[in-house]
Amino acid sequence: MLKIKLALAALSLLASTTLANATDVTLWVRTSSGAVLQGLADHYNASHSDKIIVTQITAEQMVPKLGAAIAGGAAPDGAVLDLIYLPTFAAADGLEDISEFVKSRPYASAMSPSHIRLATYEDKIYGVPALPDASIIAYNTDLFEKAGLDPNKAPASLEEIAADAKKIAALGNETYGFYFVANSGSWLIYDFLPHLWAAGADILSEDGRTATVDTPALRETIAAYRDMWKAGAIHPTSRSGNGNNAVEAFASGKVGVLMTGSYIVNLLTSKYPDVKFAVAPIPGPKGGASSFAGGDTLAVMKGIDAEKKKVLLDFVDFYMTPEQQVYITKESGMPSRTDLAGDAYASFDKRNLVSYEILSKARTPYTFSSDELFVSRTGPFVNLIQGAIFGEDVDGSIKTAQDAFTKVLERTNP
Amino acid sequence: MASTAQRPTQTVTAASNDPEPKGWLGLAFMAPSLVFILGLFVVPLVMALWMSLHNWPLLGRRKFIGLGNYAELLADMQLWHSLGFTLLYTVLVTAAIMAVALPLALLVDRPLRLAGFFRTVYFMPVVIGFGAASTLWMWLLNPDNGVFAHLLRGLGLVDSAPRPLESFWPALGVIILMVVWKTAGFTMVILLTGLQAIPADVTEAAKIDGAGVFSRFRRITLPLMRNSLLLALVLNVTSSMLAFDQFFIITQGGPSNSTISAVFSIYLASFSSYRLGYGSAMSFVLLVVLVAISSIQLAFLRQRPEES
Repeated sequence: MLKIKLALAALSLLASTTLANATDVTLWVRTSSGAVLQGLADHYNASHSDKIIVTQITAEQMVPKLGAAIAGGAAPDGAVLDLIYLPTFAAADGLEDISEFVKSRPYASAMSPSHIRLATYEDKIYGVPALPDASIIAYNTDLFEKAGLDPNKAPASLEEIAADAKKIAALGNETYGFYFVANSGSWLIYDFLPHLWAAGADILSEDGRTATVDTPALRETIAAYRDMWKAGAIHPTSRSGNGNNAVEAFASGKVGVLMTGSYIVNLLTSKYPDVKFAVAPIPGPKGGASSFAGGDTLAVMKGIDAEKKKVLLDFVDFYMTPEQQVYITKESGMPSRTDLAGDAYASFDKRNLVSYEILSKARTPYTFSSDELFVSRTGPFVNLIQGAIFGEDVDGSIKTAQDAFTKVLERTNP
Repeated sequence: MASTAQRPTQTVTAASNDPEPKGWLGLAFMAPSLVFILGLFVVPLVMALWMSLHNWPLLGRRKFIGLGNYAELLADMQLWHSLGFTLLYTVLVTAAIMAVALPLALLVDRPLRLAGFFRTVYFMPVVIGFGAASTLWMWLLNPDNGVFAHLLRGLGLVDSAPRPLESFWPALGVIILMVVWKTAGFTMVILLTGLQAIPADVTEAAKIDGAGVFSRFRRITLPLMRNSLLLALVLNVTSSMLAFDQFFIITQGGPSNSTISAVFSIYLASFSSYRLGYGSAMSFVLLVVLVAISSIQLAFLRQRPEES
């Protein structure tokens, strides 16, 4: 009898220790990055006893859901977030400080600077890059040739783009010189703000607490856009489009220059192999180049237990290995590390390197109220672009935007 | 005569078997719905009222501010503008629905074999959810590959695809068109029940007296279906005041924030600005406005023409 009891005790001890050894870590991921992260988690789970469990959340619902989960004490262990939300969650004390981990990585210097800047709040780092991307322009080299432009030389300034766009639109037959997505905040910050950054200006101060809407760079950029719009060189769907038709419009060969992102190269080569195109960084009104560093950052939730934190950070080390970086590049177009171009792009279209190289110079607005200022379709940024480019009152639109930005910032600054 | 004679005997037998109606039995029957009302309406209502007295961000600390949110509401131009817009939309869309649903009801009220088929056809869009219908119309309205643009261009009616969502009245127009398509069938059914409740002998008597089609409609049909007309009106006004999906999905509040309905502005305060307390306060103001409008309408409904 005693033997059986002992055996049972030993058995249960064994069971509990194996259970304790295998840790399940929950990770929330936005839907657009869901497939890649699930793939990485599958690779990780296949070779480790600990498990990463990925849950996909619709992109627009990530902030309200994660916020509600944190408030209700039911947060996941980690989240792969749009990097722009990092300051918001860090300032609200929702994330775990992982400065030590980030700084001690052998690949610390190969992380996208903008991702690290956005993950930093009050000198502590709260996230590591997961899936970066960068905004760029794509231009149709066939149309450039037809319009008598040099297809081997990318436009060096926005004013040059405007001149080229007008020439391409003059080809007629419903051909347009330029396409940008003007009715979506997330598209506009991605493709419009780099013009300002390329000219050394910004719409928010460095710390994200003050609005600096009215700059010469903004006025010059708007003037170039208005010039194109007045001349009928901008595709008419730009104004009310939400981005769904942008790639098709470009792929149909009727658009000269498309404001887009790094994923465009693999998308066009795989789905529309006949389109002849080249890509380039986004220029400023008079020159210079910049890009929006977009994509996802992995953050660890506040109050996670030490064991789970270890597993989650081990997962970061895992996906940062060259082998997994090649997988990420294959699936989403760009590696998380900026020092692996040779490995990552060995078997891919070399045009991908344009966005890869600009990523180290790319920026992202550092803000605590991204949704309200930028993303919201009814927010001041979308209304600024709609009013100043398609409306009649440029000065009024800029002033309204400056006032609305200031009002929101005064209320939301932590 | 026979029915009036039976009634007293029934009451007597019921009364003799069961002199006192059992209170607990009534309560037992009511209990399930009481639980639902309590759990899904009263409790959330009290919680929302409690939230509306706080500065309640999605993230970070909440703070009790008393009536601060309500004081801010008074000066919130965006909210008043959206309430005004919602009223405008309600008046226009209710009128449009009535103007379409009443003729439809009169048409399908005929004893024709095909009437059943048409009733089904007109009612069909009602079973689609508002969100799904809005998404469908979003695609229909797409200027590049939508059906409307394709049809209009194919018929040679327009040279370039129409872009109604770029200015206010066309945007409101297509929304009203979509809502009429989506909900007129439901109003038609309500009106149809009213039409079918009109006794045939009254109409016949009027016919014999020599009343024409129009005067029969005006003096007999309309007054006798008054209650179903009012019911349709109350339901349409209430649902229009709460309109959200169609503006959220199709116009997205644009152009220049001109089509933000009242519920949309509550959504923006709560889930774009993440001010849950302020959003709750807005919900309360909307609730008061809605209760006021509904009680005026219900007062009309209670007033029976036979009594006055």
